[in-house]
Amino acid sequence: MLCSYSCGSSDHTLSRRGFLGGALGFGALVLDPMMRPAFARELQQQQKRVLMIWLNGGSSQLETWDPKPGTDTGGPFQTIATSAPGVHISELLPYTAKQMHRLALVRGLNTAEDDHGKGSVIMHTGRRQEPAMKWPHLGSVCAKLLGDRDNPLPGYIHITPRGNGGVNSEDAAFLGPRYASVSLSDGHAPANLDRPTNLSTNDDQRRHELRIHADRRFLRSRRTAMTEAYTQSYEQAEQLMRKRDLFALDKEPPAVVDRYGRHDFGRHCLMARRLLEGGATFVKVSHSNYDTHHENFDFHIEQVGEFDRPFATLVEDLHERGLLSSTLILVASEFGRTPKINRNYGRDHWSRAWSVALGGCGIKGGSVSGKTNANGTVVADGQVHGGHLFHTYLKALGFDSKKNFYIDQRPIPIADPKASPIAEVLA
Amino acid sequence: MLAVRNTLWSSVVLVLLALAPSHGLADTPLHERIDRAIAAAQPDFARRAAPLASDAEFLRRIYLDLTGTLPPSNEARAFLNDRTPNKRTALMDRLLASPEHARYLAAVFDVMLMERLPDKQVPRGEWLEYLRSSMAANKPWDVLAREILSSDGVDPKTRPAAKFVLDRDAEPNVLTRDISRLFLGTNLQCCQCHDHPRIDDYKQAHYYGLFAFLNRTSLLVDPTLKKAVLSEKADGEATYQSVFDPAKTTKSTGPRLPDGPPLKEPAVEKGKEYVVAPTPKTRAVPRFSRRALLGPTLARADNEAFKRNIANRLWALMMGRGLVHPLDLDHSANPPSHPELLKLLADDMAARKFDLRGFLRELALSLTYQRSSEQKESRESQRLEATYIVALLKPLTPEQLAASLMQATGLTDAERQALGKNVTEAALYARLSPHVAPFVNTFGSGAGKTQEFDARLEQALFLANGPTVRGWLTPRAGNLIDRLSRLTNADAVADELYLSAFTRLPDAEERKEIADFLSQRQKDRTAALQDMAWALLASAEFRFNH
Repeated sequence: MLCSYSCGSSDHTLSRRGFLGGALGFGALVLDPMMRPAFARELQQQQKRVLMIWLNGGSSQLETWDPKPGTDTGGPFQTIATSAPGVHISELLPYTAKQMHRLALVRGLNTAEDDHGKGSVIMHTGRRQEPAMKWPHLGSVCAKLLGDRDNPLPGYIHITPRGNGGVNSEDAAFLGPRYASVSLSDGHAPANLDRPTNLSTNDDQRRHELRIHADRRFLRSRRTAMTEAYTQSYEQAEQLMRKRDLFALDKEPPAVVDRYGRHDFGRHCLMARRLLEGGATFVKVSHSNYDTHHENFDFHIEQVGEFDRPFATLVEDLHERGLLSSTLILVASEFGRTPKINRNYGRDHWSRAWSVALGGCGIKGGSVSGKTNANGTVVADGQVHGGHLFHTYLKALGFDSKKNFYIDQRPIPIADPKASPIAEVLA
Repeated sequence: MLAVRNTLWSSVVLVLLALAPSHGLADTPLHERIDRAIAAAQPDFARRAAPLASDAEFLRRIYLDLTGTLPPSNEARAFLNDRTPNKRTALMDRLLASPEHARYLAAVFDVMLMERLPDKQVPRGEWLEYLRSSMAANKPWDVLAREILSSDGVDPKTRPAAKFVLDRDAEPNVLTRDISRLFLGTNLQCCQCHDHPRIDDYKQAHYYGLFAFLNRTSLLVDPTLKKAVLSEKADGEATYQSVFDPAKTTKSTGPRLPDGPPLKEPAVEKGKEYVVAPTPKTRAVPRFSRRALLGPTLARADNEAFKRNIANRLWALMMGRGLVHPLDLDHSANPPSHPELLKLLADDMAARKFDLRGFLRELALSLTYQRSSEQKESRESQRLEATYIVALLKPLTPEQLAASLMQATGLTDAERQALGKNVTEAALYARLSPHVAPFVNTFGSGAGKTQEFDARLEQALFLANGPTVRGWLTPRAGNLIDRLSRLTNADAVADELYLSAFTRLPDAEERKEIADFLSQRQKDRTAALQDMAWALLASAEFRFNH
């Protein structure tokens, strides 16, 4: 940010860069002696990342993480035992049940917001919507705190089922568009990643050489942090072009594609694994659509059925690759669904008592926090809201969630200061 | 040789200015007083200050700062060959009077005031046209500000001015924040909930004093107009508690400016509070409107914050950095880099009755503005930003980048040629403006945020691989590649290319590089010309206003 750089204000964020260089981002022209290659490599091994699965529309807690069979609200499905002793979940999640010892459940969630947009704000930012303040998404916060400026991959990647790819600068709020989400529509590569067809690699290289010569002459007497950032952006682009294969699912063996499932969400989970493995900091995968005002049960058989296997496969694969302990997983929605079954066999929006699942980095596998009453109509114990979740994510990633961002010398608490982490699910 | 003489001459002038006694200040033009203030703030000014910018550097800079684009190559050539002694002043006067300047300044004020928020109630085209015609008429800033803060959106003639309020849904907290930031240079946002924890000058009472002008106002869709307009109640006090106050004492304030006196409100007879009483479907009009008083109270020559804010913002526009920086954090613990200069500028702004064009002209006339951006010392050794002894690099805004690329690739020339005798500024703008949106999306800072420079990966990919710039480098009658492909002499190619992209002639090393590149690719000369042009357009020299 030009502003923080030139006013010299102390931007005491928790960024790894800030910690390493003693100065933020490209403001750090002089390399700190701490930034030795070995030290940097060590940090890279400790690199943490986040996988967020977004069940769009509001998935039913009763058909997933907090079933209540045999009650007036329970619906037709039974529960099944899981790999975590004593933890039962919906029978619609047989594959996920086998990963439960690596996952944790928060069952005492009351977000008190039944509107899709506002619920989404709470679950992405850990704050309620305010008229004069926009808060950054968890993905943007993680991109800022965990990301590495030299990483050519965008810090916050969102794999969407469809729609336009591109940058959604709103998501990053005051953190700035560098930390905004980049949508990969249907998992396709970012825009303009391919060299123009009528430009050969050789000619491309030669025109870049010419550009670099021109820069060298100009920058002899005009080099600044801004010009450095600009010339480096071409190097980053070049590096990402070389990582083109990350976005090519056809490089995966057919058997692997089969395990994830030959449907959109399966392919998107597989893409998420490739990206996380390839160094991405934060990957969000959206799965649509759980807004089941009609025929809640038929829809959940389909939707949860589609979710279950790819998700469980992804958890298993991250574990096998040794990435699970450094990858925070969260499965969230705008809200849950009403315990009361409406006349169309649907369930409506419901934020008073619902659940999310967590896993991986910093999370105590097999744990459960909070509980709802017998038929799931209120939180009976361990009530938390979106702010507590946000603290929990940060804490699980190893941050002090009570710290501030400093924007224009203004301290801004990273997470809602009135909330705190949920100790029961933290390792 | 000429350049060297120029440099020496300017150093002499700078030294003389620095040493000149400051007598008769009142009659001294503002630009000279600016130069004296900048020189006086730097003990070793004469030794360290950069010389006057070359004609080419000046030409590029003044075009970008006053019209948001580059000069066509033939104009650049003519200016560089012009031997008239006052050609710089003549050029800036021509640009300031041009329709392109009014259009550009309107766009600058649009981004400043609307911060790229998505359109809600007033279509952006109408708002831009309102700003453009205001700038073309050189409407004083206080008048413009009063119109913007006062329009209720009912009269179609003044409705565009209401965009600032209407498109913020007339939400009083959003308006209080943005009016304090954008019109007064003080970000009072923190004071919604408490006195600012780190800035002693910013009090919760200040926030609610402004808020009290606005909290009776709301948006109402008028059933006959079928448009959102402003409705205002005759009651509703601005009350607040500090979240830091354990006793939760409720305070209240009437409308007043930060540190201004309380506003005298007329007594209104009970039962006669409304001209039009509120119903769910009618726009309420109170007999006494608090909101109507905001513009006249705030946009005044005796409002220190109002005049400092606009002086500082225009200074930042031309010089690349506010004297108060960031622009919306004017307070005693963040003093201006040159306090007396800012006072001078603010007072001058008021004395010239908020004449924006006249003020910009004085800034452009100053040697401070016309200094070179090439520096003698290395940037690491010294923090130079706030000294103005070297001109600062200004990253092109998304709009400037789009317009400059269109001009440099010759899309602008080709469109002008295609319009033939029907060419006017408005006609050309209509053809070119649709190309700007992808640049705003890719290079902009996002809605509601101050423009900040951030070189990002997707921007590099857009420039390197995207179809936009590549399309503009396809030969078309009158465009750059078309012109270059007609030139057989490599030096002539180099000259035309450098004048188009960099607004200067190439030096010997650069001519040789172009000649070598062309000689290696005789078989695909058009592609070679495209690649060369791209290399210059993608370089830092192009990306920055220097």
